[in-house]
Amino acid sequence: MTSRVSVLMMASAAAVVACVALAAPAWAQAPSQPATPAEMTATYNSIADGILALKVSEENIVKAILAAAKAHGEVQLGRATRALTANDAAGAKAAVEALAADVAQIGTEGDNSVAAIRKRLIQAGQHHNAAGEAQGIFEEGFVIVTRAAKAKLLGSSRKIAQMAGQPNAASLQAEWKTVEGVYAELTKPGK
Amino acid sequence: MMSRPRGRFVLLLLALAVAPGLLGRPPGGVAAEAPPSHFRFIDIGAQAGVRRALLAGRPGKDHLLDSAGAGAAFLDYDRDGRLDIYLVNGWSLDGSRIVERGRHALYRGLPDGTFADVTERAGVGGDGQWGAGAFVADYDNDGWPDILVTNFGRNLLYRNRGDGTFENVAARAGLESPGWNTGAAWFDADGDDDLDVYIAAYIAVSMDHVLAATRTLGWKGVEMVAFGPFGLKGAPDHYFRNDRGHFVDATAEAGLEDKALAFGFAVRAADVDGDGDVDLYVANDSDANYLYRNEGKGVFKEVGAWAGCAFDEKGSSQASMGVAWGDVTGDGPPDLLVTNFSMDFSTLYAGTGDGLFEDVSRATGIGPMTFRPMGWGTVFADLDNDADLDIVVAQGHIYPQIDAHQEFEGTYAQRNLLAENLGRGQRPLFRDATAQAGPGFEQAFSSRGVAAGDIDNDGDLDLLITNLDAPPSLLRNDSPGGSWLTVVPVGRSGTRGPIGTVVTVKSAGRIQRRDIAAGESYMSTQDPRPHFGLGAVTMVDEVDVRWPDGTHTVQKNVAARQMLSVRQGGTVDGRR
Repeated sequence: MTSRVSVLMMASAAAVVACVALAAPAWAQAPSQPATPAEMTATYNSIADGILALKVSEENIVKAILAAAKAHGEVQLGRATRALTANDAAGAKAAVEALAADVAQIGTEGDNSVAAIRKRLIQAGQHHNAAGEAQGIFEEGFVIVTRAAKAKLLGSSRKIAQMAGQPNAASLQAEWKTVEGVYAELTKPGK
Repeated sequence: MMSRPRGRFVLLLLALAVAPGLLGRPPGGVAAEAPPSHFRFIDIGAQAGVRRALLAGRPGKDHLLDSAGAGAAFLDYDRDGRLDIYLVNGWSLDGSRIVERGRHALYRGLPDGTFADVTERAGVGGDGQWGAGAFVADYDNDGWPDILVTNFGRNLLYRNRGDGTFENVAARAGLESPGWNTGAAWFDADGDDDLDVYIAAYIAVSMDHVLAATRTLGWKGVEMVAFGPFGLKGAPDHYFRNDRGHFVDATAEAGLEDKALAFGFAVRAADVDGDGDVDLYVANDSDANYLYRNEGKGVFKEVGAWAGCAFDEKGSSQASMGVAWGDVTGDGPPDLLVTNFSMDFSTLYAGTGDGLFEDVSRATGIGPMTFRPMGWGTVFADLDNDADLDIVVAQGHIYPQIDAHQEFEGTYAQRNLLAENLGRGQRPLFRDATAQAGPGFEQAFSSRGVAAGDIDNDGDLDLLITNLDAPPSLLRNDSPGGSWLTVVPVGRSGTRGPIGTVVTVKSAGRIQRRDIAAGESYMSTQDPRPHFGLGAVTMVDEVDVRWPDGTHTVQKNVAARQMLSVRQGGTVDGRR
């Protein structure tokens, strides 16, 4: 993505320079203060819009990952509850483990394949929350989930996993409420 | 196996010598300041003939490969009942020039307690590869232990011909897998009674890149050190399924894809959730650690994050290097110790028995005592035969440059750690006994691999520790201790210590369990004969050997202080 932006930028700059050069021969103009041509700043502004939009897009995709994991978790919670009502111990166990995995994936902003993407970005020097990382608020490469929230979510996922052997609907609901609280705080508008 | 009265006599003398000190301990098991230690380890490596220097790149450690070091293995390649030693070697570099390609080494244990270098005759010198780890298992089930050597480059699979020589069959077997291979584990992943293998990998990098490396990473604003692993591309781990002696890359099929392209180091296979099949733990440097749960028939699911053993107590990834596995907390379910970078805890994950873990590093004292040094290989071993597992951690930094600024993280060369288990219920459970563990623990190197094994068959566990740019330390255990039992499981084909065998010893109302693995610590293999410290017990109520195929051999009322040979489907033969 970054290299495509660079190519676009260079091509635009070259086009503007060519236009300026063709439009007015240098000998015909009075000396003036050097100024960046308006076309260049306009193009740069468009590129900046793109760059900033990319950052927003990164936030959005991570929020989408979190939302998908949460939605999947809600489904698993429903499955577990229904399995418990039906005295289906194996079904309940599987659903509770899947719920634990979903909560962990909210905490880690996706599974290991997303971790690989984070690593690629870090490798290229792209840190979404560079300032937050420096302050210890975010782990390297994390976009939405803070260190504190990650710890809480992983703790919840482990507590849920511990219930897999002997699930209890009320306890599961209570822990899910905790997860929802952390999630809501992370994704509230303006964050 | 021959009786060794010398060991018992020494134990008796030393017990008498330290008795006043033991009697002088405060009541209630609570030590005042520095309690008297009964540990005593002496480095006998040089005098025993184990002198091969282990080469490790450039003195300045300009690339991470220079400081990665290698593991080592205890094995009994000639089945004479005495432990032999296999050492893995690296290269020596001067800038981008290759000074020497180190030779791996096989040392044969001799009756007089020394070791003979039999590398040339055995044909296991390493073929000029830059070595990483040694993983011993009878992969072809012919009764003789074979050696998988992982390398930066092509792996080697030394098949034991049974006549004192080996042949490298890696290419034929399909295990060469070129790259920066690191830890590995042999295990029967799919329950078909043969050994499969998982091989971790670290960074995707070429030898040309290593040779051209310069130190480009700023360290605390005062030094330039080797770059990485952050900012480098991880290399994928591989799982090879054994299809009648030929290994097929079945990584994706088995659900063992290294999706994070994590920087893999140590691997340990074990039945983590107690369901009878073998799971897999992978310690990754700077990435989340993996726990692959075996869902049956060789299909795995990665569950580390919610099982509680992927991160530390704060949910952070750690720079993990080595792994030990066993019931070190003494409560029944096995636990995991994962060693980490300096200025960070090594993490002790207590197993809760259902495949889940709880970080108990702080409460047990392990966290604080491992914070400053850099941890690598680690073993759980009952070093004083008091019926609980102590911990050894090989330590040493990766940046020699830190010696000029010792106020930050100490020194490059570091003492290894001996953490004494004070017994179940004690808080903290461990105390740092390093300073009182004899001259063997006074040495300071940049150590990497560690393996525990009874080199003199005297009933206590000795230690083999690899050091960068130096010969290994071979620490003879001269500590006085309690009673013991060593079990020598012999599989149907004659294999000593078949991988996946689990031995359970019941004595004095206590249950101790050991499993036999090939691959743990830091790229190392332990003595294949499970050892049990027994304290004051003279008679064991029951010894249960569960073989890899699920069958059991049980022996009741077994006398302590012996090497108990147990044959699958056959006899039990005790030798004292």
